[in-house]
Amino acid sequence: MAIADVKEYTHLTAEEVEQLGAELDALRTEIEESRNSKDADYIYKMIRLQRGLATAARITLGVSAYHRRTRLPGAVVGGAMLGVAKILENMEIGHNVMHGQWDWMNDPEVHSSNWEWDTAQPAEQWKHSHNYVHHQFTNVLGYDNDIGYGILRMAREQKWHPVNLGQPLYNAALATLFQWGVALHDLDLEAIRKGEKDPKVMKKQLKQIWQKGRRQAVKDYVVYPALSGPHFMTTVYANAAANVTRNLWSYVIIFCGHFPDGAMHFTEEQIEDETRPEWYLRQMLGSANFEGSEMLHVLSGNLGYQVEHHLFPDLPSNRYGEISVRVRQLCEKYKLPYTTGPLHQQYGQALRTIIKLSLPNRFTSGDREDVMEGQMEVARGRKSAEELGSRRPETGKYAAAAS
Amino acid sequence: MIGTTGLDERPRDPELGGPVPYVCEDDDGRGSLRVLSKKRVIQCALSRICAVCGETLDHPLVLLGTREELDRMEFHVPPVHEACGEAVSAAVVGAPFGVLGQDGPVERWVLVSTGGFEHERPQRFDPDRRPRFRPNKLLSTREV
Repeated sequence: MAIADVKEYTHLTAEEVEQLGAELDALRTEIEESRNSKDADYIYKMIRLQRGLATAARITLGVSAYHRRTRLPGAVVGGAMLGVAKILENMEIGHNVMHGQWDWMNDPEVHSSNWEWDTAQPAEQWKHSHNYVHHQFTNVLGYDNDIGYGILRMAREQKWHPVNLGQPLYNAALATLFQWGVALHDLDLEAIRKGEKDPKVMKKQLKQIWQKGRRQAVKDYVVYPALSGPHFMTTVYANAAANVTRNLWSYVIIFCGHFPDGAMHFTEEQIEDETRPEWYLRQMLGSANFEGSEMLHVLSGNLGYQVEHHLFPDLPSNRYGEISVRVRQLCEKYKLPYTTGPLHQQYGQALRTIIKLSLPNRFTSGDREDVMEGQMEVARGRKSAEELGSRRPETGKYAAAAS
Repeated sequence: MIGTTGLDERPRDPELGGPVPYVCEDDDGRGSLRVLSKKRVIQCALSRICAVCGETLDHPLVLLGTREELDRMEFHVPPVHEACGEAVSAAVVGAPFGVLGQDGPVERWVLVSTGGFEHERPQRFDPDRRPRFRPNKLLSTREV
């Protein structure tokens, strides 16, 4: 199925698709030209808040551990503050800075080239697996490894295997250990399994993951707990709780972005030459928002505006709220779906999909009548250079590999 | 992350002798300073890696292009390290044919330093259907 065949927008003429693209371009230009010191103040305020919380948490954990009466409440309060600090750092600061949303400020510290975040995955690998693979090939089966993170079957078009029966368990493990799952994400386990991974690249990646993972583990489970002296383990438990809290929260937010009902998957063989309006449409139809308070949006890195984030991944996150009003109006104008709902509803739908798709298609009903059993099955994992075939230099397109 | 490390490990262009940028190479390893691989152009821009050596970019970003691209403020080669930009421009200056995706010989190359950039995806009716990059915090420009 090509992007042009997606029935959600086949009612639009080619001219209307172009017009929609022009309106989204105008919106993007408007935001680009209105970026100002208020936006800069916002991200600096977030960074100060996050660092203040992290410092307060570390001090609370270190000091309270020495007194019997304050040890437990100190561990609970310190762990909670540290969890929130890690969530803010990963979601609203790290993720968005590494997209280049704040590069226009020309601050070498708050810049996509230099930011290293407080999680196990090295920033360099995240910028490849997320900024490129996920954002360029959003919800394209066989390309976008965010569809189930290489271990979950998330679309009916994906071939079922008996190992999928364990999906609810794998899902629970992925959620709990999310930062470590993400750390391995750019390794492309499917390519390794097929023996297609370049050993030189794999060795470099593993070394980088080992170094970053070790640094994270030493920081949270050796250095800071050592400040608590004989009550070392109290701080270890509090830090572990903060990391698990961040893991569970990040997992929920990320799974709400593309797996609730209404977010579509695509099976297009080659999308390199899609036009800008077609790219916009794929991003809109493949993403899902959730509704909530301003605080919820900040704590989720403004990824509750997933549709807007995928349309304009490098615009400042604090502007997604105002952009969403205009995008929603455009969806109404062009009679396009705009997938949104409360967080619990969106996550509930994603969880239902995980559980349903642990079974073969014939045992469950589909949300889309155009996906039948055995039809359009897509192998998991990214396509290899051999599968893509040779590239035609005059068009940049790949000629399909000879079968 | 790519298989080579730094500028020194890049393969050499048989015609011009300079390093073949990562962005001028296909996945099968074939490459030439003459062409840009569209797939890698997008990969470099989104992954925030240098279009020449493939390593993570640093600050400020540098765009390598022609005088005409500077006048339009739209470049075809994604950002590079300053040293990588200098090495590649030294190799292509005076080339009697089009290099780095240009249609014909280029008289003057420029290096543009910027805090950030905007990624322009092509429109259906654009005569030039390649991705382009606009500096959004221009710091300096110099001819090479």
